[in-house]
Amino acid sequence: MKIIFSRIVSTLLLLLASSLAVFAAIRFSGGDVTAARMPASASAADRELFRKQIGLDQPILKQYITYMGNFVTGDLGNSLTSNARISSLAVEKIRNSLILGGSSLLIVFLVGVPLGMIAALRRNTWVDTGITSFSVAGMAVPNFWLALIAIHLFASTLHWLPSGGQGGFKSVILPALVLSAEGIALTVRITRSAMLENIGQDFVRTLRASGFSERRIYFKHVLRSSLLPIISLAGLRVGQVVGYALVVETIFGWPGVGQILVNAVLRRDYPVIQFFSLLLVVVVTLGNLLASIGYTLANPRLRK
Amino acid sequence: MSQTPLLELRDLSVGLKGDRVEYDIVRNINLSIYQNEILAIVGESGCGKSLTALSILGLHASPPLRITSGSITYDGRDLTKVSPEELRKVRGAEIAMIFQDPMSALDPMFTVGTLLTSAIRAHKKVTDSAAEKIAHECLADAGIEDPRRRFGEFPFQLSGGVSQRVMIALALVNNPKILIADEPTTALDVTVQAQILERLKDLKNERGMSIMLITHNLGVVASVADRMAVMYTGEIVEIGSVQNVFSVPQHPYTTGLLGAVPRLGSNSVALVPIIGRVPLPDNLPKGCTFADRCGRVVPECGVNRPELVSRGAAEVRCFNPFR
Amino acid sequence: MNLLRRARKNKQLVSGSILATVIVLLGVVGPWLLGDYTDQDLLLGHLPPMTSGYLLGSDALGRDIAARVVVGIRISLIVAISVTVIAVVVGTAIGLVAGYIKGAVDSMISLVVDFIWGFPLILVAVLAAASIGSGLLPVILAVGLVNTVAIARVVRGEVLGLSEKEFVVAARAGGYSTMRILTRHLLPNIMPVVLVLSSYYVAVGIIAEASLSFVGLGAQPPLPSLGQMVSEGRNYMRLNHWESTVPGIVIFVMVLSVSLIGDGLRDLLDPRLRTAVERASSK
Repeated sequence: MKIIFSRIVSTLLLLLASSLAVFAAIRFSGGDVTAARMPASASAADRELFRKQIGLDQPILKQYITYMGNFVTGDLGNSLTSNARISSLAVEKIRNSLILGGSSLLIVFLVGVPLGMIAALRRNTWVDTGITSFSVAGMAVPNFWLALIAIHLFASTLHWLPSGGQGGFKSVILPALVLSAEGIALTVRITRSAMLENIGQDFVRTLRASGFSERRIYFKHVLRSSLLPIISLAGLRVGQVVGYALVVETIFGWPGVGQILVNAVLRRDYPVIQFFSLLLVVVVTLGNLLASIGYTLANPRLRK
Repeated sequence: MSQTPLLELRDLSVGLKGDRVEYDIVRNINLSIYQNEILAIVGESGCGKSLTALSILGLHASPPLRITSGSITYDGRDLTKVSPEELRKVRGAEIAMIFQDPMSALDPMFTVGTLLTSAIRAHKKVTDSAAEKIAHECLADAGIEDPRRRFGEFPFQLSGGVSQRVMIALALVNNPKILIADEPTTALDVTVQAQILERLKDLKNERGMSIMLITHNLGVVASVADRMAVMYTGEIVEIGSVQNVFSVPQHPYTTGLLGAVPRLGSNSVALVPIIGRVPLPDNLPKGCTFADRCGRVVPECGVNRPELVSRGAAEVRCFNPFR
Repeated sequence: MNLLRRARKNKQLVSGSILATVIVLLGVVGPWLLGDYTDQDLLLGHLPPMTSGYLLGSDALGRDIAARVVVGIRISLIVAISVTVIAVVVGTAIGLVAGYIKGAVDSMISLVVDFIWGFPLILVAVLAAASIGSGLLPVILAVGLVNTVAIARVVRGEVLGLSEKEFVVAARAGGYSTMRILTRHLLPNIMPVVLVLSSYYVAVGIIAEASLSFVGLGAQPPLPSLGQMVSEGRNYMRLNHWESTVPGIVIFVMVLSVSLIGDGLRDLLDPRLRTAVERASSK
């Protein structure tokens, strides 16, 4: 319990530090919206006045506190390009990204863990070779390219599924699968090697000698020990999903956080970049924290 | 020894079958274990004693190891031929086994109590409270002082000695007739060793169990065993009562082993090591496998393999035994 | 030598090395053989592969895909390998110091390293592009940072384990300097792990550069990055899918070759993983 508490405290501190870092990096680099808002002919004095009006002349720490205050009250500023209020965009984008990321995480573990177990139980057979080769290939294929192939095949040629956009259940299938490919491959790999390592442990021999059934040994005891690396992986997965969602959402035109952030970076829409990058930093940090708590709870050595 | 044996190994060989290699590691073992006795199997590491023990319950690494010939008869059945499910029902319930390194032999993710009660449930349907009661009794029987506390602990919280006692309790929960103990004290402190051995002896006397004790430690043999079998390069070279073998060893290897044990208050000034090296199982000499290291070689030793024959009160595999 | 013989029998290592050699040759010699990748001829756009003069066909602007692919390979290799070399050197140094010196230094380093490591590479790169503008530089910085902390983490863990081992304790007791223990005793023992990791991180670098260039945040035109070529070709999938299929396959093969090398090296060099695998074959 003490471990969990100290993890939460250090995560909060780091969250504070990293959000400040991200805030400062973006503000210093060009987050100064003066250039975007003022006509090119505006005089230096006018620019200075404008900066003063919106608080850009304040020290960065103060700007950060002001921003965070607004952040909490839901006042996130306006987009430079569309002039829409960011708070009105955010809810829908976040919801869409949660749908995509959530289904991807589900797919990764519902497919990856069983496949990894099958490969371990059928080790050195063609089943194992097949699953392992698939996972090596799955880790090597760039997911943006996989996305193009999937769109070309299932949407443009076969017309089975929509190529993206947001049209209910069907439209999430392709992006979610593409987003999951690398994760499935990695999960298969980690599950397989963890299962194999644990099947070789002395305690398995003890269980056999005590008359436990093979099924019980694999699915209860070996799997339980193998869950630890899988739980660590799950935490990393949250980050990976966030990262690759930037690419995959862009390709499939999935109107989520990833797409809006990439477009904002391309158009230098700094208020939008500021909010959504801070949001993703928070999500990733919390994902890591959850995984670390899960790991602690699943490991008797740490739990006690 | 006129009674019928509980467990009988006949002509048992266990071998390695790889892609290019194929040879036996344990050869032609004939061994019986009777009601209410402790049979010790002694030999240097690599002589095949552990493999012999593991193969009884089918726990040898298979593949690449497999039983190549012979039979293991228990309760009228040949354990080398029964179905996996039938063998499972024997494991723990009829014949139980404990191992050398107790710290790694217990599943780290489960409490002692969960482990013991689910071992009971692997063989019979019992209520939670009944299973817990049996578990507490067995922990106490294994010499654990505070069963109630240990019941809720995880293996990492236990010392080596307590772990081995938990292993013993785990072996006892289904009241087996035979306990195979594979080097049960090797990894433990000397004082704990003695306590564990005492406990095994008590189990024999109190529960009427038979124990097959695998060890390389002749001191252990002398203090607890009734009979002993000496193994060398996968074969039994001498078998008889402990008293007999210790007082009148017949095989030159046995005398060598006894000579290599320091004894307090004995007259011998120096320890006598056995010279030479153990031949490897994939490259055994044509005749007697001990011939290269033996001080009593006769011409036949290099030509033929000796058979295990009765001589006096023991059985010996030698062309030129002592006495 | 025994290691060499085992290396030659290692299928993953051999096939990965062959693929990697071909790729590197293409990246080094290709641009010199295949001529100017910027030559345009709008009348000769969207040519399929094996057209005379265009081995792999041409893109929308009539540029030779083969000539562009080999330059793309070169860029990808330069980014991935140089970044990995820097990450290995810096990451190993940080990990060695943190793991051996321990104490407050270690706590601080670990806190920062673990934190950065929790972040996905692509997000870090997008943030970097957001703050310093799109191009290869933010890609290099992001990949470098994330891979450095990844290596530092593993090295630290290894060193923590090794510094309790007899040979290190003996070296310390023998009065050797910290520097000597770090470089002569610990470094050689962690090199295998670092080597295995670095091949994986070359793969990570290739993927990251390609992904970011694909969404437009990486290499900027007219520099032909592979990811960007896939992106440009996506609009013509029906007309001539080779424009994005060819660079896509090249990225796949590049990543595959280094991951195969990584897997092969792991089996070859890391005895613990080998025993884990061997142990798994016994009940």
